[in-house]
Amino acid sequence: MSDPVPSVIDHPGRAASAAPPAPGRSSRLSDRLLAVAFTSPALLLLLAMSVFPLLWALYLSFTDYSATRGGPAAFVGLENYTAILTSAQVRLRALTTLIYVVGAVALQTVLGFSIAYLISRRTHGRGLLTTLFLVPMMLSPVVVGLFWRFMLDAQFGVINSMLGSLGLGQVEWLTRQRTALISLIVVDTWQWTPFIMLIALAGLTAVPKYLYEAASIDRASEWFRFRTITLPLVWPLLLIAVLFRAIEAFRLFDLVYILTSGGPGVSTETLSFHVYKVAFLGFNTGTASAYGILMVVIVIVLTQLYLRYLNKLKED
Amino acid sequence: MRYPQRTGRLYVPRRKARLATAAVLVATTLAACGGGQDGGAEAGAPKAPATIPELTKDPLTLSFIWFDWPPAHALEDFANAEYAKERSNVTVKVNTVPNANWHDAMFTQFAARKTDFDIPILDSQHIGEAVTNGNILDITDFVQKNIDVKAYNPYLLAAYGQFPQAETGKRDENAKLYGLPLLGDTWTMIYRKDLIGDKPPQTWDEMISVAEKCQADNPGVSGLAFHQANGSDAAAVTYNTVNGVYGGNLWDPKTRKIDGVLNDAAGQEAMEVLVNKMKPLTAKGSGNWFIDEVNAAVAQGKACIAFNWIAASGGLLDPKQSTLGTTREQILDKLGFATLPSQKTNLVPLGGMGMHVSAYSAKANQAEALNFMKWFERPDIQKKWAAAGGVPARTDALESPEFLNAGPFNKVYADSVPRMRDMWNVPEYARLVDIENTNVNAALNGAKQPKAALDDIAREQQGVLDSSGRKGGGGL
Repeated sequence: MSDPVPSVIDHPGRAASAAPPAPGRSSRLSDRLLAVAFTSPALLLLLAMSVFPLLWALYLSFTDYSATRGGPAAFVGLENYTAILTSAQVRLRALTTLIYVVGAVALQTVLGFSIAYLISRRTHGRGLLTTLFLVPMMLSPVVVGLFWRFMLDAQFGVINSMLGSLGLGQVEWLTRQRTALISLIVVDTWQWTPFIMLIALAGLTAVPKYLYEAASIDRASEWFRFRTITLPLVWPLLLIAVLFRAIEAFRLFDLVYILTSGGPGVSTETLSFHVYKVAFLGFNTGTASAYGILMVVIVIVLTQLYLRYLNKLKED
Repeated sequence: MRYPQRTGRLYVPRRKARLATAAVLVATTLAACGGGQDGGAEAGAPKAPATIPELTKDPLTLSFIWFDWPPAHALEDFANAEYAKERSNVTVKVNTVPNANWHDAMFTQFAARKTDFDIPILDSQHIGEAVTNGNILDITDFVQKNIDVKAYNPYLLAAYGQFPQAETGKRDENAKLYGLPLLGDTWTMIYRKDLIGDKPPQTWDEMISVAEKCQADNPGVSGLAFHQANGSDAAAVTYNTVNGVYGGNLWDPKTRKIDGVLNDAAGQEAMEVLVNKMKPLTAKGSGNWFIDEVNAAVAQGKACIAFNWIAASGGLLDPKQSTLGTTREQILDKLGFATLPSQKTNLVPLGGMGMHVSAYSAKANQAEALNFMKWFERPDIQKKWAAAGGVPARTDALESPEFLNAGPFNKVYADSVPRMRDMWNVPEYARLVDIENTNVNAALNGAKQPKAALDDIAREQQGVLDSSGRKGGGGL
């Protein structure tokens, strides 16, 4: 005898889940089993490709393991972490990374928001302009690095050629301490300003029109409308874009590798580039793992603080 | 019949899920730990058989790994044309990577204990790292039985195969061999005959003053062009060359002492000459130049005197790549190639690479690799390799008309062989060369004072050698 179908459905969700299996489906294949069967491949993949490597790196970070030397990994406690946190070399790279992150993200935010603001005020050709501005973001950083390397070449590059035709002198973009880091910031800004612009544009488009209409009736100035309507409404979205960009900029590797190789000397070596050297020049896998873990922890802590600020902003 | 009361949320017992996840992680971790320990048991280079095992008759691809430059392409063409005459079932593939990735490309595969190449072409200084980790075969017995060692300059045989490292200019006949020469190389001085005359400068000081005058007399042309980049071994080889010429030493291999040796009076003088006398004669922004950029400057007539590896200089004679003439003869009327000037010594840098056999290659491929090496070192093949644009190592091939007439710089190489000096061939080489590269590059580009840069090199390199047995925190 089959189970009776409930005559009164007081909760649709509950009723749906309480319904018996459809005719023809094996009675052994319950909802739970089916759900596990469908999600387990993705879960296993996640465990194998993300969770396990992270835990494995955590384990290696407490050892002196070297991938090329092989052999059993000897437990060294917190020595790798102590060495990294007390290293003058690491502090120097951290400072370079900080200058780079602050410089690049600030420039991208100002430029990205400005471009988005200007585009949002246009009625014609907005879609085409947005698409054109997005092109740099779609290119591989390695490709971007290579063609900027040619363009910034002091002898044969197009930038110095243009400066020369304007009667200005040659600039050693990639081989001087100050200009090399500025060049990195400029190239990263060229590529990633469109990302900030895109997010800001989404925010600007979502600002209700009636607020501006009300402000117009009150004869509010352009600056007053921007300061009291546009910016406060777009700000939380912009901060999320800044968060994404800051995380990306923090782990910058490819542009440094292609454009400057960390030079001149080590003046443009970021933390990620340094980890690469520790991991693959000396194959000090244990130290490199600790270095990587510390970088992840820093990003997580800063992100949490940032998100709390963002939530507080929303509540206010 | 009862069905669990749920409201759209999947009911999975949390404890079971956690246990299952933990079990999977523990299992995977144990499996990974096991793999690491197996790898460790293989430490130390395994031995190749003295006699070449029976070769397969099935189709086989013999894979090399090298960096992307003209000799790599020349080798693939040459081997497929010549080796196929004897082994028609074998295809030779020379896989190339950018120069900056060369070390990483080989050693990350070695680290995985699995390689997609059979013959890694190692820089002479990589041998120590590969031998210590057991990545390449010990071919001492194979060489004894199959190779006429007396046919070579002893130092060439030692530099491309011996470990521990040989004393400069010598070979220890009792030491083990792990490779055979593939391509010899050294620096050549390339000079503009039309600007400085037919006779090349004989001393380093003379070379600098000639370059200075040439730069002053020819606006738009820089006096010198040489490697300054902080990638690969670019800036390091430049300093090491000047260091050798001015009577300096890179280290004392017996005591493993660098601090106090590299930065002694001779070392300081060499750094002063490089940064304060040579650098001002280079083009603006040349602080990241390596092989290609130096060649471009010469080909475009932008340098009076340049230094580059001989094996990379062939393109300079190609009219399609040069503004110095429309024929090879016209270019040669303007370009001269000479051995490096001497000063306190006549040392020149040892370049080039050897062939080795991957310890992780299939047995059939290892056998084929040994057969290829035996074939390649035959006198007739060495002469053919010379004619095809390669730089052989056998003395008879080096003295042959096939080699000496193949390029205007080949005589430079033959004359330079007795003057060669190598860097350190130790497992820590990659870090030592990085320290030197970054500091010399910093000094050349004004990011550090020359003396401070040299002292930093000596101190940091000494730290690397001293901490090779250290537990934890290595590599920073």
